[in-house]
Amino acid sequence: MAQLIKSIFYFGPLIFGIGFLAPLTSQIIQAVGWTPPFGLSPLMTGLLVGGTLGVIAQYRGRWI
Amino acid sequence: MSPTQDLSNLSEAELMRMEREVAARHIDKFPYLAVVWAFSNLAVWLALWPLVFLGVIPLWLGFIIATFNIMLSYLPSHEAQHDIIAKPGARLRWLNQLVGHLSTIPLVLPYQVAKITHMDHHKHANDPDLDPDYSTHADGPLQAIWKSLYNRQPRANGGFNAYGEVLQRKGRIDVILVSVAYQVVHYGILIALAWSGYALEAALLWWLPRHIALTYIQYYLSWAPHNPGLTKGRYRDTRSFRAILGNIGSMGMQYHIIHHLHPRIPLYRTPRAYWEMKPILDARGCDIHEL
Repeated sequence: MAQLIKSIFYFGPLIFGIGFLAPLTSQIIQAVGWTPPFGLSPLMTGLLVGGTLGVIAQYRGRWI
Repeated sequence: MSPTQDLSNLSEAELMRMEREVAARHIDKFPYLAVVWAFSNLAVWLALWPLVFLGVIPLWLGFIIATFNIMLSYLPSHEAQHDIIAKPGARLRWLNQLVGHLSTIPLVLPYQVAKITHMDHHKHANDPDLDPDYSTHADGPLQAIWKSLYNRQPRANGGFNAYGEVLQRKGRIDVILVSVAYQVVHYGILIALAWSGYALEAALLWWLPRHIALTYIQYYLSWAPHNPGLTKGRYRDTRSFRAILGNIGSMGMQYHIIHHLHPRIPLYRTPRAYWEMKPILDARGCDIHEL
């Protein structure tokens, strides 16, 4: 259990990027009525943006 | 006693006697405002969710109200941390604990974490190794805001991240687990809402307001009253100051020196206690030149 919790916290930025920032980005795109390029859906774009930010934050240990 | 009276010729014992007399006039006053504030603030924040979800109020308005709610969520708990509402064993002790536990829910700060680390802050204020809030020290206002944001980064060592170390040092693994549970539930709710189509609501009613509130709270409750924070000791580790936003806008922190000297004086009584105690503080050489 302790190991699971430690893993969840260790991968926190990645989980937050995909788990929260991705759907947030997707819903912002839909709210402003923007059409993503290359035929990407809002969710795919969200996953790309959130996932990328999450990977970067995971690697750097910080978001800003 | 006039606020400008010169008491510098009095002995240490006389100053202490006078200080205790002033403090005694303000301690043991029931903080009605803090209790009402705790429950009404939480109720408003909780009500925002159905109100926004059902379209009764727009999200932008919910965001503004939520930001104020979360900014205001810490101080009632702070009164409880110092047993100001009711001391251990008192008839209303349950109310003290209820306020302590409930008011910081929007801030995702467990009462036990807040209490243990805050007591350590009082004991070791401005000690780089032992003060849990030492990481908020910064050279100026903008640096203080940046530091607050920086301390919240995943692998930063300051801010709430430093609290885990304090709790570990004190052997309070039980409290660390409570904190972990709070974080898991908080992020679990945010993620669940986001994937249910309510990401904007989750972001603007909790996630972003919480970050704004944490910055504001750390600025006014931690950085400003202790700046520059270079000295330790009862009459040296905090100060009075003039806030741009005034005493209400700084959540009563202009008179924080009173709180450190006599933590059981309720927040609403600290301005009055300050003006009554000012000549004593002056004679003690406290940093009170701004007010």
